Amino acid sequence: MGTIIVLGIIIATYLMVVAKRVTALVRSFAIQSFFLFLYTLVIARREGNVELYIVSGLLFFFKVILIPHFINRIARKIKVNENLGLFLNVQLSLFFALVCTYASWAFSRMVVPAQDPTMAIALTAAFTVILVGMFLMIFRMKALSQTVGLLVMENGVFLVASSIAGGMPFFVELAIFLDILLSVIILNIFVYRINKMFTHVDAAKLNKLKG
Amino acid sequence: MKIILIFSQFCLLVVLAPLVSGFIAKIKNNLRMRRGAAVCQPYYNLRKFFVKGEVISDAASWIFRATPFVVLAATLTALFLAPAVIAANPAVLAGEFLAIIFILALGRFFLALAGLDAGSSFGGMGSSREMFISSLAEPAACLAVFALFLQPGTTNPELLGMINGLRLANIFAALGLFMVIIAETSRLPIDNQETHLELTMIHEAMILEYSGRSLALIELAAYLKQLLWFMLLGQILFPATVSYSAGFIPLAVTSLFFLAKIFVIAGIVGVVEILIAKMRLFRVMDYFGFAIVMGILAIVAAIMGI
Repeated sequence: MGTIIVLGIIIATYLMVVAKRVTALVRSFAIQSFFLFLYTLVIARREGNVELYIVSGLLFFFKVILIPHFINRIARKIKVNENLGLFLNVQLSLFFALVCTYASWAFSRMVVPAQDPTMAIALTAAFTVILVGMFLMIFRMKALSQTVGLLVMENGVFLVASSIAGGMPFFVELAIFLDILLSVIILNIFVYRINKMFTHVDAAKLNKLKG
Repeated sequence: MKIILIFSQFCLLVVLAPLVSGFIAKIKNNLRMRRGAAVCQPYYNLRKFFVKGEVISDAASWIFRATPFVVLAATLTALFLAPAVIAANPAVLAGEFLAIIFILALGRFFLALAGLDAGSSFGGMGSSREMFISSLAEPAACLAVFALFLQPGTTNPELLGMINGLRLANIFAALGLFMVIIAETSRLPIDNQETHLELTMIHEAMILEYSGRSLALIELAAYLKQLLWFMLLGQILFPATVSYSAGFIPLAVTSLFFLAKIFVIAGIVGVVEILIAKMRLFRVMDYFGFAIVMGILAIVAAIMGI
């Protein structure tokens, strides 16, 4: 069961790599978070941990509903062209994502004992998600995708924690959620300001000072 | 006994094929809050086409006349080679998966030639697009399915999904194959069966010059091809075949299961088609890029043994 959910996470990650628009990116992020929520539920059931149930509920509320809603709203509000602007075209991006998956599989095979394939798969997915999040931050032009990339990396870290250690301590988890929510709000305001001042949110062009 | 069973299975599949299309159209119409045509509408269409007269362009050569027969014969042969209900089918063992792919490619080759043959601009456009799409779709299909042939070490399509049941590699392969099927049956993000708008049509543009009996043969071939792909997908996800000597009840149960899985896949295709919009032609490359990546992931998963 856990393995199939991890498969969903991997596919949602690949969907993010092929996304050319902000809405598609955010939708894939919501899908990925939803699968992460399912995964946390499975872990919680396996470990019999009540705190993990609460964490998964919070995850659903914040990452599947609230944060995608925020980002979509800011994307509508600043009325920029929805195109993400790719530094690397879709085929090369997919290839890069494949290389990421393979590298993380090679790494997790070294780390995890060979008798435990489910954990190796989960770890592979987790490192893939982290690397792809970094990829989204670097190779997409619009400032909104930097926000989403950060969130994706956070999803990956969450997946690492829940697959290896059965989740972080409850208060750490809680703090991270609030942190993420605040950072999304702040980044959104920031993007809004950038758009007001420069009339675009193209991170590639933000290399000159303007007073 | 065995031969009778195999032939009756084949004939039933041929009869069933238009129904699947009608079922998908019905589902789509009902989801759009319309009543829609009857489920048997494809049969009525075929009968209508068979009765009507035929117009053939003066510029057309023998290729144009021969194509409907070649396409239908190729598709029938491919369907004959595909696994359905009866296990250890000698026809399946004779062909194997690569034969199915290449026999279908023969039909497609003739269709593209016929599109060019009549000399209308639409036909040529349709042929060029069809070739562009199939050059991407075929490797994606092969890659996805070959991942599942790694372990048994043969390309016998009956063994698709039979080894160790449903595994991660099967799901990846099924996803890749599903995306290919959407394109191969000329459905929505790639092509649109419902319109004859010049900008969107691909399959319809190729066969635009056909009418009457020839059109009926080509349409029937399209239904058969669709059923064939659904069968292969069903074989990957929920393999179930039964020996011909098993007696009446196991045969009947397996047949019912087979019908159920075909119609479930058809329903999923219909719902997917409702949900998405037509894709720009040059985004098709990204679409198949994704399908090919699914195939590669299936191979990786098969090698990892998960």
